[in-house]
Amino acid sequence: MSDALLLATPLFWLAVTLGVFELFDTLSKRSGRHPLCHPVLWSTPVLVGLLLATGTPYPVYKAATMPLSFLLGPAVVGLAVPIWAERARIRRLAAPIALALGAGAVTSIVSAVGILSLFGAPREILASIAPRATTNPVAMAVAGQLGGIPALAAVIVMFAGISGAMSATPLLNALGVRDYRARGFALGVTAHGIGAARAFQVDPTAGALASLGMALNAVATATLLSIAALLL
Amino acid sequence: MLRSIFLLLACQLAGEAIHRLTGLALPGTVIGMMLLVAWLGMVRRERPALVAVTGWLTAHLAVMFVPACVGLIDEGALLTRYGVGLAVATAASMALTLAVTALVFRWALARFVPETEGGEA
Repeated sequence: MSDALLLATPLFWLAVTLGVFELFDTLSKRSGRHPLCHPVLWSTPVLVGLLLATGTPYPVYKAATMPLSFLLGPAVVGLAVPIWAERARIRRLAAPIALALGAGAVTSIVSAVGILSLFGAPREILASIAPRATTNPVAMAVAGQLGGIPALAAVIVMFAGISGAMSATPLLNALGVRDYRARGFALGVTAHGIGAARAFQVDPTAGALASLGMALNAVATATLLSIAALLL
Repeated sequence: MLRSIFLLLACQLAGEAIHRLTGLALPGTVIGMMLLVAWLGMVRRERPALVAVTGWLTAHLAVMFVPACVGLIDEGALLTRYGVGLAVATAASMALTLAVTALVFRWALARFVPETEGGEA
């Protein structure tokens, strides 16, 4: 049947994926970009529903949307641009950036893996949570390298980003950290792009430092975990 | 424009080659990112097209990982079994990382960066 074939084409699933995402992106804009209205959070269950309704196996959908997933690679490479653009600030704030980055990356990996192991999770799940603070494409790639599940890593990273963007302001206020550089950098290190988007809403300096924190932590966490993979 | 796209793909390709040759768990894309930083440092000039291309990619990162998130469709059993642990561990790790990073940054700022920097906007 010709319509059954259309359901297996990249054209169909790319159009549907972009359409569903655009719909929720418009709603997200109307909400003033509230973290709970993040378009990925709502597009994912709707697309899962569409796959179930049409009886499309995930591998078919995955292959069809490959052109979209492919762009993640060049996007990660492109994070070099914000790092380079902030080189003057990196030099000026070398000590706080290096020390906070190292402390944050180690805390994030050790606490996530440590706490989850208390729940008796097997290695593939621990490997999926280990890169939870990095930007999503890096988390998926690192999780895959460590024997984890990229889809699970993607969802964990989304959850970390949304909860981080929502709780950063009250948490940092409670700690008495008022400097926007410290606040922004911490949010980028722990909550990647979603945290950076939130930081930009609050203050441009916080936003710039958050983008930097996200880009640098992608390198730091991936490096730490690849060293850990060699040793374990 | 095309040259900037080529630069990104060339760095990614070189990163992927290094990743495969060394067997490091560091993803090829992250190696590619480091190579691009090095390239930008060696060949210094304004690159408005590269900034435009990477800005567009970063701005649309969210839609690119939707297909990966949909992959959860096959992980229902894992989610029901470890969902609570995953949520607790992720939220706790997020809060701890936020606190540690912010406090270390503030401490190091006061300890190592001259006072004149304090007034930066």
